[in-house]
Amino acid sequence: MASDLFGVPVDQISAASSAQTLDNWDSIQHLNLVLAVEEKFGLQLSPEEIEQMKTVGDTAKLVESKLQAAPR
Amino acid sequence: MAIVIQPYRQEHEPAVQEFNRRLQQSSGDPNLVFSQNAIPRWLPPASNNPVWNEFFVAVEGSSVRGAYALKQEQIFTRGKGLHRVACYHHPLSEGIVDRAYASVGALLARDALARQPFLYALGMGGADRPIAKMLKALGFSLTPIPFYFHVLHPAKFLLEMQALRQKRWRAILMNLAAATGTGWLAIKSAQAVARLRGRPGNFTAEEVSEFSDWTENLWNQVKDTVSLAAVRDANTLRLLYPPQAANIKRLRISRNGAALGWAIVGERRQDAKFGNMRVGSIVDCWASPENSAAVVRAAIQSLEKEGVDLIASNQSHQGWCGAFGSAGFLKGPSTFVFAASKRLTELLQPLDETRPSFHITRADGDGLPANF
Repeated sequence: MASDLFGVPVDQISAASSAQTLDNWDSIQHLNLVLAVEEKFGLQLSPEEIEQMKTVGDTAKLVESKLQAAPR
Repeated sequence: MAIVIQPYRQEHEPAVQEFNRRLQQSSGDPNLVFSQNAIPRWLPPASNNPVWNEFFVAVEGSSVRGAYALKQEQIFTRGKGLHRVACYHHPLSEGIVDRAYASVGALLARDALARQPFLYALGMGGADRPIAKMLKALGFSLTPIPFYFHVLHPAKFLLEMQALRQKRWRAILMNLAAATGTGWLAIKSAQAVARLRGRPGNFTAEEVSEFSDWTENLWNQVKDTVSLAAVRDANTLRLLYPPQAANIKRLRISRNGAALGWAIVGERRQDAKFGNMRVGSIVDCWASPENSAAVVRAAIQSLEKEGVDLIASNQSHQGWCGAFGSAGFLKGPSTFVFAASKRLTELLQPLDETRPSFHITRADGDGLPANF
């Protein structure tokens, strides 16, 4: 997902990749990341959670924790 | 530390000043500045006012990382009546100059939508600019609002219109056209041919110092000819165009004593893209479609007397677009875009049918640049 959004090959993306390390990670792409995560995983992200998405790793952890906490 | 968006209060003013300083220092853009006053200078909240501004700030600890404004107002939609909506304007994020705050833009837009799902934005510099792109990602529908211009002094237009002179070959051609008089002939001919298409009938125009109760009747008589308009009743007009607003003229256009319509005209601030030209603006207008031509002619005459070189206007309603065309206005590329949230777009459906009779002008949204 990050590779598609930020236009960077998968092997150049790591858990530490962030707005500071990826040229295309600007305000618009941050919003697109939020919307893509919400749509793909059926989640609703709060303002606090949107702000936590500082790196690709942070985002993955957030999604994991939200999916684990979600009622099955 | 978490970022919290909250109403802008006086205690935030020093942090907003510091936010402005950081944005300007890092970007070099003097326009990246949010209001230094927590209480809006234009349309402050007041009990019983139908339209007002509210400011919000994104606070991280003792720092401000973003801000935006909402203009709360009522719109009229044909067949569905009055609805309360808000205009999202002047969003600013620290993310513009510091990637660590890339999330702030999304937080601001989502916060505004949570406060008022019937949300719109206007202008934005074009559909390809960051704010418009962000709103599109959030599901907003985008509608460009046509731009019209009328050249009063062709030679000066050819020599000063910097927006058209950026390519060297074009600047040379424009110099040649101005020097030989062919430019004058071409522009005046095009405008004269356009004017043959419509005759406004007789009318009288007078400048009035305020909008009084006659505008209420006009609002009620005309509103069903539009599919969407921000409310322009007498009470709202008195707030938008108060008697003390010296930078505009309020025109009352009548025939045999009966009011046909009104217009707001004024001179725009100096803008590099217009060079040293004096640019007049038909900022706002209201009349039934059959009387719109008279209002446009009256507005032109008023601005001509002021000695402007060029007149500009943004208009969306097909009736007004026709009136501007038949008054000799030419259509130019527009960077003025109307963005409507999903909920507001639902209210305006079917868009293909309602869009041609939206009544949106330069005065809508955050209004005149002088307001901020």
